[in-house]
Amino acid sequence: MESPESVSVELEAAENLILRWDSTASEEARERMIFDGADRQEADRYLRAVDEIQRSMASVSVSESPDGSGESGKVHGAIQIAMARLEDEFRNILITHTNPVEIDSLLVSNSFSNHSTSSRTDGAGESDAEEEHPVDGGSERRGSHREEELQEGEGSSSHSGSRTPNFRSTNSIREVDLVPSEAIYDLRNIAQRMITAGYLRECIQVYGSVRKSAVDSSFRRLGIEKLSIGEIQRLEWDAIETKIRRWIRAAKVCVRILFASEKRLCEQIFDGLGPAVDEACFMETVKGPAIQLFNFAEAISISRRSPEKLFKIIDLYDALSDLLPDVDVVFWSKSCESVRIQGAEILSRLAEAIRGILSEFENAVQREISRTPVPGGTIHPLTRYVMNYISLISDYKQTLLQLIMSNPSTASRYSGDPPTTDLEFPEPEDRSPLALHLVWVIVILESNLEWKSKLYKDASLSHLFLMNNVHYIVEKAKGSPELREMIGDDYLRKLTGKFRQAATSYQRSTWVSILYCLRDEGLHVSGSFSSGVSKTVLRERFKTFNAMFDEVHKTQATWLVPDLQLREELRISLSEKLIPAYRSFLGRYRSHMESGRHPEMYIKYSIEDLEAAVLDFFEGHAVSQNLKRRSH
Amino acid sequence: MPTDSQGSSVPLIFLGRPILSIRRNQIVNMDGNADQDEFEIFQKHVADRFLDLSSSPTTSSDAAATTTNDVDNFLSIAWLRKLLDVFICCEAEFKAILFLGRDSSNINKPPLDRLGPELLDRTVKALDVCNTINHSVEMLRHWQKLAEIAVMALKQSPLGEGQVRRAKKALHSLLASMTIDDKDAASSKLAERTWSFGRRGAAAAAAKERSTTGPPRLFTSWSVPKNWSAAKQIQAMSSNLVMPRGADSTGMAMPVFIMSTVIVIVTWTLVTAIPCQDRTGLLTHFALSRQLSWAGPIIGLQERIAEEWKKKEKKKSAGLLDEMQRLERCGQALIEFSDSFQYPAEAEKLEEVAMHVAELTETCKKMDEGLLPLQSQLREMFHRIVRSRTEILDVLEQNDKYSSLIL
Repeated sequence: MESPESVSVELEAAENLILRWDSTASEEARERMIFDGADRQEADRYLRAVDEIQRSMASVSVSESPDGSGESGKVHGAIQIAMARLEDEFRNILITHTNPVEIDSLLVSNSFSNHSTSSRTDGAGESDAEEEHPVDGGSERRGSHREEELQEGEGSSSHSGSRTPNFRSTNSIREVDLVPSEAIYDLRNIAQRMITAGYLRECIQVYGSVRKSAVDSSFRRLGIEKLSIGEIQRLEWDAIETKIRRWIRAAKVCVRILFASEKRLCEQIFDGLGPAVDEACFMETVKGPAIQLFNFAEAISISRRSPEKLFKIIDLYDALSDLLPDVDVVFWSKSCESVRIQGAEILSRLAEAIRGILSEFENAVQREISRTPVPGGTIHPLTRYVMNYISLISDYKQTLLQLIMSNPSTASRYSGDPPTTDLEFPEPEDRSPLALHLVWVIVILESNLEWKSKLYKDASLSHLFLMNNVHYIVEKAKGSPELREMIGDDYLRKLTGKFRQAATSYQRSTWVSILYCLRDEGLHVSGSFSSGVSKTVLRERFKTFNAMFDEVHKTQATWLVPDLQLREELRISLSEKLIPAYRSFLGRYRSHMESGRHPEMYIKYSIEDLEAAVLDFFEGHAVSQNLKRRSH
Repeated sequence: MPTDSQGSSVPLIFLGRPILSIRRNQIVNMDGNADQDEFEIFQKHVADRFLDLSSSPTTSSDAAATTTNDVDNFLSIAWLRKLLDVFICCEAEFKAILFLGRDSSNINKPPLDRLGPELLDRTVKALDVCNTINHSVEMLRHWQKLAEIAVMALKQSPLGEGQVRRAKKALHSLLASMTIDDKDAASSKLAERTWSFGRRGAAAAAAKERSTTGPPRLFTSWSVPKNWSAAKQIQAMSSNLVMPRGADSTGMAMPVFIMSTVIVIVTWTLVTAIPCQDRTGLLTHFALSRQLSWAGPIIGLQERIAEEWKKKEKKKSAGLLDEMQRLERCGQALIEFSDSFQYPAEAEKLEEVAMHVAELTETCKKMDEGLLPLQSQLREMFHRIVRSRTEILDVLEQNDKYSSLIL
């Protein structure tokens, strides 16, 4: 046990030291800081002095009545002077040792991982564009996903051509040192004294105000904008897509690096100094910024649902759902509950938006009622759009399989054009709701196309249009393994049958009447013993054939079958009917004509002429009127 | 509380001027029009709820009104929570009218095809107001913490120099931080005045405090850009708010108009009560027709708040919120006390301090209890607006005008 004298001597020395640093008392105390690193020993002495006073206060409060003497009041006065001083010191250390997070390097290294998905989604919006190749795009996207997975924990050695090796991944929580460890040591020492003396609130206030402005400045450098919901609703979707891309990058940095590091800093300084002090400081610092960050995603999640938004919103959903487990880790405590809840709310709202957009898309396909037939019976923009769209959907199937949980509502919400009743919807067992949605989209697309095909005045063109479009659907579906798998070969076979049927119907409607000219019946005059062939009828037949073929040739050369193979097959198929029939007709009746006058008036085409003429079909441009004069 | 069945008599009591609607209601009811009945009930409910709200007692701001603590004072946190409850009830009822048992495709027909999108536009603005107010509530929490420091320091006995200094510092921060420039010429003067308090005695620490909390400034929110203005939002929400006339006045246009009015008055009240980014000219933006029976209590409420606002302007004080006024009043009194403080304090002064401290304690307690629920109600309001908005959009989007594939 120490003697009372030595206690009071030490106490007096402690008081003196504290009074010497009373910034209200002297200019020097105001100008200089204790914990600026210049005089470590003085800093330690100061802390010891505070401890000394606190010790004596503890014993005083036991031994003396609180209302009492000057001694008690003096000690209290000293501790308050010390606390005011320590608060300033605490603030000063925090301000001078705030390392800015190297955000630029974080952003650059991370920027390519979302790159591949972005450029492709735009394509869904413009169907007039050239054929896309979602297959390639799809594998690219899946590739990038795989790559992101690979990146965890190591650099992306596999990714050739990326700008920077991704050593600084933002795909998992990675704390950085926001404040050097010597400073943390001082901060912790001071915090401990302040909390013991009942100055916890001041400590939290100071800590929060300094760190918050540091987080704010990181936010500015990350390019996190303050956008009101109203503003976001007014922006063009293109602009929003860019912002979503930027947000995804920034959000990863915020949650996994910025917030996580803030949290660790709080723990380093305040852990064990009092119940939940570190949490309180953390919340004070990042609650506002966290909500500011989420506000953007929230505004997107409640924006108007239109089909072109789907894929970027899925990107946002994917990013957020990937991020939320880390949000839960960083914001695990009770006081951070609102942040976690908001994150989860936004995610479910995005999911809802995605479902809404998909059904909006289905409605739009159903109700696309442009009445102008595409010239030449070629692929309708709607068909391209829808097929590009659903092939993108199949690229995003990992996410969508989880989100799309109910089967399509096949009952139409609409009446009128195009009629959608009695749609035949194959509903095979053991298919995912997403797959059923895709099949459903094709079913309604098909029904819409059928309605559109009736807008052609020429029945043959109507069949050709259907053939082209359904063929396109089949080819597009087969071109993407994902899409093919989801739609299923059974249904594709059915569709194949459908466009074959359309091809047959086309041939029938164009060629039956033409080939009818080349039949034998009706040419032979019965009961006559002479030649038995009516020249008049025969001449009429040749003339009709010529006229009809001329007409068909002229018209159908302007029609278009864009798929080369299909075009070829169709020509072969009609040649196979036309050429032999003409050849045998010519073989049998040529002599009858050549024995008469002006045979060239009736036998206008040689076999070779017809063969050449067939090659003009479905090329999509007009041919010269007179076949004979055409040079080969 | 006015829960009498004669909803239309309410404005008579309230505004003391005759309102013409009783007869009209009766005529409509005789038609046996079920919709019309439903609309009338909605109107009556809206009127009743707002009448209830506008009859809460006001704190007399000059007296140390600790006596009224057990009542939900006008414009207190508890009162704002009632206001949000009212909003939530009205909203639910409106939604039921809009969607239940009615062919929702009506939304695509005049006049709703115009009113619907206008309503949606209003709801988006209301969402932004919800977010900024939510941010402001965080500020309130910050002020509560500062007040708590003062309370803790001033509750010490005996009250020493050090504790008084501690309290003063916290109170300075509190008042500086509460001084929000509403971009009015008057309030920028207030800023200087608050800062001139006891600067002489305030130590370097207080000056430091100033460097982190900053000088009196424009109030900026984390959720909206710098140029966002609460007052302008309210103005935009109410500028196209036109009372349905002629044939429209009996159809769905009326409930839409009522709901829009409720949205505007609720957001307007929130913004007047709680500091918010840019409130310049808040009073001039919003005028309702007195022709409508249900609007009486809303007009009454608005007038009463406007009076308070003018008082606030005159006094150059920071907020209408009851708790803020108390913080400000007690804070100023206690700073004055601390400026002239000498140890040991006179008993008479100490008694006065104890009274202010008690009020501060009580206020902090109310904030502690009320702010979190207030925030969750704001979130709830937000959610409900979003949900209804989505449903209305769904219906609107069935209209070709609103959705078509870009081909």
